[in-house]
Order: sequence, then structure tokens, then C-alpha cells
Amino acid sequence: MLAAISSATLLGVEGHRVVVEVHVSSALPSFTIVGLPDEVCREARDRVRAAVLSSGFSWPSKRVTINLAPSSERKVGAGLDLAMAVGILVADDIISAEAVAGFGFVGELGLDGSLRPVAGIAPMVAALGAVHPVVPVASRHEAEVISEQRVFVGRTLRDVVDALKGDAPWPTPPVEAVVDDTVMVPDLADVRGQPLARQALEVAAAGGHHVLFVGPPGSGKTMLAQRMPGLLPPLAPQVSLVATMVHSAAGVRLPAAALITRAPFRAPHHTSSIVALVGGGTASLRPGEISLAHGGVLFLDELGEFSPAVLDGLRQPLEEGVVRVARARASATLPAQFLLVAATNPCPCGGGAPGSCECDDGARARYLRRLSGPLLDRFDLRVPVHRPEVDELLVGHSGEPSAVVAARVALARDVAIQRSGSLNAAIPASLLDSLAPLDPAAQRLLRCELEHDRLTGRGYHRVRRVARTLADLDPAGDEVVREQHVAMALQFRVRLSPLLRGRVA
Amino acid sequence: MNGLPDQAYAAALAGLDRMTVARLGVLLAHLTPAEAYAVAAGQMRPCGLVARLFDADGLAAAWRASAAQRAPSRIWQQCCDHDITVLIRGYPGYPAPLVEDPMPAAVLFVRGDVDRIVGRRAGIIGTRNATGSGRETATTLGRDLSAVGVHVVSGLARGIDGCAHRGALSVSDGAGPVAVVASGLDVVYPREHARLWQEVAERGLLVSEAPPGTPPEAYRFPLRNRILAAFSEVLVVVESRASGGSLITVNEAREREVLVMAVPGALRNRAAEGTNALVRDGCPVVMDATDVLVGLGLDTRRAGGVAYDPRPQPRGHDAQLLELLGEPSTLDQLALISGMTLVESAMAVARLESAGWLQQVNGWFERVGRVR
Repeated sequence: MLAAISSATLLGVEGHRVVVEVHVSSALPSFTIVGLPDEVCREARDRVRAAVLSSGFSWPSKRVTINLAPSSERKVGAGLDLAMAVGILVADDIISAEAVAGFGFVGELGLDGSLRPVAGIAPMVAALGAVHPVVPVASRHEAEVISEQRVFVGRTLRDVVDALKGDAPWPTPPVEAVVDDTVMVPDLADVRGQPLARQALEVAAAGGHHVLFVGPPGSGKTMLAQRMPGLLPPLAPQVSLVATMVHSAAGVRLPAAALITRAPFRAPHHTSSIVALVGGGTASLRPGEISLAHGGVLFLDELGEFSPAVLDGLRQPLEEGVVRVARARASATLPAQFLLVAATNPCPCGGGAPGSCECDDGARARYLRRLSGPLLDRFDLRVPVHRPEVDELLVGHSGEPSAVVAARVALARDVAIQRSGSLNAAIPASLLDSLAPLDPAAQRLLRCELEHDRLTGRGYHRVRRVARTLADLDPAGDEVVREQHVAMALQFRVRLSPLLRGRVA
Repeated sequence: MNGLPDQAYAAALAGLDRMTVARLGVLLAHLTPAEAYAVAAGQMRPCGLVARLFDADGLAAAWRASAAQRAPSRIWQQCCDHDITVLIRGYPGYPAPLVEDPMPAAVLFVRGDVDRIVGRRAGIIGTRNATGSGRETATTLGRDLSAVGVHVVSGLARGIDGCAHRGALSVSDGAGPVAVVASGLDVVYPREHARLWQEVAERGLLVSEAPPGTPPEAYRFPLRNRILAAFSEVLVVVESRASGGSLITVNEAREREVLVMAVPGALRNRAAEGTNALVRDGCPVVMDATDVLVGLGLDTRRAGGVAYDPRPQPRGHDAQLLELLGEPSTLDQLALISGMTLVESAMAVARLESAGWLQQVNGWFERVGRVR
């Protein structure tokens, strides 16, 4: 009359183990679910009943009580449907209690008894622990990536019950040939001209420097940003696992093999809300775009058009690599270590050559005010992008392909990590002198920039980090940062406007 | 009446709703300021030509209401508080160049001393969206003209105007600049020119047609331009778009037979389209202060030799690159036309920039002259 079934629910990007306790007793027929279910979870009453009936079982005309333990934690989503149905059948003596021991069930039921995938299979399976996960067919790869146990699948509730009772073997859907559907990453060879911007991409990828492209519409800022993931090395196993968990928890489509191995690229529109970007919108605290970009690239096009509150929300994650989302009922820490690539026009009209801007000063100042300040400070690279010359577009030879650049990037990243244990963007200011020593000519150049007020103290450190990366990328480079590296690094600090001269450097 | 000077009533009148240059002119031509105020406030019956003014629909009511809120004593207090002198046409102290103007201002508000403006006067105007080289030209002209005793007349706007004033003020014993502005003299616009505004008032003359407290409404700028034109003996346009406020001033100047001169610019420079068109139409060309002095009919012998340039002369790559930098260019373009690698170009511009030969804004590099 009593059953306890293992299942799991989702909070943020973590699964939490849930024991579905089912009690069936002789009393007036009723069906209640207790233990803090959310709206979707409560609706399981009707789904489970219909699924049990249409799978050819009878519904006990007794009092059915389901408790989701631990009962103080909120349960979200339809992932507990399967466990409830199995629990009722166990409590009604259709399946024996021994048969379900050693299994954990995650999946949503259709009214016809079919099993459907839910968001967050990967983290929920991870939370099940040392039991065999039983999941919908479509979620098999996702579960197998995480689970150390053999994963069983079912197409319908009937499949699962028959297999548990021993009446039929577990369904073994044919292993479809895993097509490599890694989205074709655009290649850097498509970019004509733009030598400065290309180099900026390379530096950003090699040093983990956040980059802001500043240029008129049509100058290729978006095109450049889309090529960034192709320059980044494949994800490390640990990062790859976390990225997969995040995508799973957010219900974002995973590659066919389920494991995310390439750097993700997320480009939320500038009307996105702060919750969409940072996460925490639903009861399960769904991860936002910045978490989905974990290990990869977050691209914010038209940075100036984002609402200031949204941009401010990025500052803490940029600093700490995680985002802590707290709500009245729950809080979660979501991973958010990403490379920020942003693009903006220099002014509302798009600007261009000096003297060609059509904006009045007020409009331009208002536009730039959104960008100035702390957020702008996070960008080690602020790169001017210009419309390429006609000649460059028509006859310009296409530059190096992504693979060649990516090879250099990987080497430079190795060098940096061996030197300081982190990428160059994360070198603390106090260690710059030992990790990125300057030769005398480079020192003179920087001193001059500081004296002319073209560089602030913070800007100075950023230039040195970028110069360090440039030296790492230079085949002739060594442990000392030379004048040419500093000169090049200074080119990546565009001054945004005469109006802001001196304020941001 | 209660011992207020005529200027108090004139100042109050100038600020009434729906007051125009013409109406104010008619009022003060036929009545004393105190009478005119009484008429506008509805305390006295208008007669003759003045009565015709009140034919306009609702004007009498508007003036009555507005006069009730603008007591001459309060306006006068404001003027005194801000050190603003009120000048009435026909009274002593009214600037001579404006007396015979085709559209004279009946009442002017000034800060500074009108008697300071004794020398020749040259207007320097231009766009607010100036390029670096335009700003530099304006600064140089302002400085050199002021140094030889020519008063620089301009509008204290952003861009060329502000640079001309700055240049004029940079000479310690130069001729004081004249600034004609559109807002009340206590309403600084643009706000970043607050210090410049103050310095002009201290060392030159600040002129406005608007009483204290008047915001810089858009329609006031063309009116301001006519006073600017009237104040100038020659008008130099440094940089101007194909259309814009500067060209309004040019038309006003031509109506007043003020000589208009223009500084030519690069053909592809949008900020020089207007001035280049002026040159094509036959305006005399200004390349330095001497050309302006010629326009004023003054002694044109060049004083002294070529000024010493303290910047280190560029060599090698740097000199080659500077040679190629004709119009504003990007680093990519520089590398392309010079045939150097990106790194070599970056090194060269870094050296040139630190030596003061060029400046970078928004990723565009421009040559700069000696004035920084």
C-alpha cells in the first residue's frame, strides 16, 4: 500500500534528489499531491491518471496520497510524472517493490502514456546518484553523458512497466549514427581586410580579454564577433560538463552527442530583460544567457541599446565568474564564466570619419553615457572598426582561416597558463611587473601616454595585460614585453569621442 | 514712478510673451520705457502707431498677463545680481555698430564693458561638429588676431566658436573677445563652456538680446546670428556643413555688407562642404590671421619669422607615415597605403602621437598643428 520511488527536481543548474512516496488506502477515492509542488507539478494529477488508464492499467478507486520528500523544498516541472505513475502502480501491487529498487525515474507523461523529455535531464540524473536512471528515449544521450550507471529508456509508461515486471526486455532503440551536427562555425577567412580587428579577435581569444568593437553600421562588427568561437580551443572536460548541465537545465537544444565540446556562442537581442540575461526567471531559476555562454562567448550587439540596468547586472558575474540568483523561496549559484564581445556604434547615427557625424552633441553624449563608466572599464580591448575600403572588399585577399589562428591562440593560452596559472586577462595588477616586465622603450612609451593624460591608472594595467598577450602571440616574443607590443596594445584602446576625451582610457 | 531707471522697464518689456524685435522697436521708438511698460501692462491706453500693435489677436491679454509676472523691479534686481548691464537703443552706451542695423535690437543685455571694444572686430564662426583641424584653425586664428588687437566676435557655441574664444583668451594682453549668445546671460549654454563664458565676461564682452533667465530656445539662435554679423567687420567661416547655422550668419553678414571670408578644407571632409562652397562662390580665402588683417585693410607685414616648433622632427617610417596622412585615416588604411605591417604602423603612430604630430579620435588619426 506504500511505495517510495527515486526521482529528482531542478533548481538553477543543479538537480535535487526527490523521493516520491505514494500511499494508497481504503477510503473515499481521491488523489492529492503534497510536498510543495509548483503549478506544472500539481497538474501531474491529471496527466498521471490519464496515462495510467490509457496504458491499460486500472486506477485504484481508493484514497491516493503522494508526498514529494523532502517536503520543504519546492518541486518544479513535469519530470516527476513518471515516478508518480510507477509509484502508484507499485502501491497498487501491479509492480513489486523489489522490481523498482535500484532505479530512478525522470520524465513527463502524455495523456496517452507516452514518455516525453523534460528540461534539465542531465543535472537531475546527476542528482539521482547510484541508481539506474530511467528516462525518455530522446533524453538518452543527455543522461548517459552524466550517469555512471547504465541508463534505461522507455517510449511509453507501458514499456517501463513491462520491463520492470520482467515481461519484456528494456527497449533498445537503434543507436542512430551520431551525425556531427556541431553548428558550422563561420570562418575567419570570410573576413576581407580589417587587419586590426582580426588581430583584436586573436588577442581576445588568446588572453581571455573582453572586447568591444566600435564602428559604424555595416563595418562588420557582428561578422567579426561571430567568428570568435572558432578561435577558442575545445572546452576542457570539466567546463564541457558544466556547459552541458546549463544547456540541459535551460532546455536549450543540445548537440546530437549531448556533450557540449565547443565554445558556446550566445547573442541575446538588445531588448532582452535582465532576468533573461542573468537568469532566475522561473520557479526553477532557469539559467540566463550569461550562464548559457559559460565557457564560450556572450555577444552583445548594439551595446548602447541595452537597458542600463541589464548592463549593470553583468558587472558582478564578469568579476566573479558566477552569478548568484536569489529569490524569496530559493537561491542558486549559476556558472557564468564567459568572454564578453560587444559591439556599438560610436554615436546614434553611426558616425564615420571625423566631421561626418550628424548627431547633435546632446544625443551623442547621452548615447555614450550609457556605455561609459564601470562596464566600459571591463573591456581590455576597445577596437575601432571601419567600413573596409572598396578595394579590400573586391580584390583584397582573404586572410588566414580560423584554424591557423586558433592554433596560435592555443599555443599562447598554454604559455600564459604555464606562466601564471590563468589567462593574461586575469593577471592581478600586483604581479604585472614580474609576469609582464617591460623593456625600457616600452616603458618610455607608456610613461608618455600617462603624462599626456591619454591613459588612466586602470587603463595602464589593461594595456600591459594586452601587451603581455601580444608578446605571447609573437613568435619572436619572449618573457619581456617589448615596445611594439605596447604600441599595438595602445591601438586597441580607441578614444570614443572628443566629448569623453580623458574620461575613459 | 518708484525710482526705477528706464533700463528696468526696458528689461521687463524685452521678456514679455510674444514680444518680437519689431514690436519692441515700435514701443521704444514712440514711448519712454516706463510708458511703454505701462501700455503693455494695460495701465495706459495706447495711441497712434503703438495702438496698431494691439490689433494682433490676443496680444493685449498676453502682455497684460505676462507683465503681471515680470515686475520691472524684480527683473532689474536680477540684472543687478548678475552684473548685467541693460543698453537701450538711442541711449548713451549702446554699441555703435548696431545703431544703424537694418533690424536693430531695441534692448541689449551685456556683461563686461562696452568701452573695452575699441579696436577692429572680426567674426569667427563655424560648425559645432568640427574636425580636429578645424578646431585648431579656429584656435590659431583667435589667438593671432587677438594678439594684434583685433576683437574676435563669435557665438560661444561648441566646436569652432568655443575654440575661437579660447584662442583669443589664450593671449594674456590680447584684445578681449565679444560673444553674442542666444540665451539669457545667466543661463550658460552649453554648460561645459561655463568657465569660458565667465572669462569672456571678465576680459571681453558678453552680449545677448534676451533678458536674464531666458532658456536657449532654438528660434533665438538665428536672431543671435544677425547681431553677431552686425558686430563683425569681416566674418570668417572656419568649417561649415552644406547647410547650418553658420550659413545663416553668412547671409546676415551679406545683407549688412560685411565681408565674408572662408577657410577651405579637404574635399571629402563633410564639415568643410559649406566653406568650400563659399570659396567656390568667390569668398576670399583665409589661411592664417594675415589674410583676415588684409580683409580688414590693416597692415599686413608679417611679424617675426616662422614660429619655433618644439616637436621632435619625425624620421624614417614616422616621417613617411606623416607625409601620407592627408585626410583623417584609420590604422588599417595607413598600413595599406604605406605598405608597412600593422605593427610597424602602430609603432609609428604611437611615436607620432606621443610627439604631438597627430591625434586619434574614434580610431581615426588626424594631423595636428602646433597648438595643442
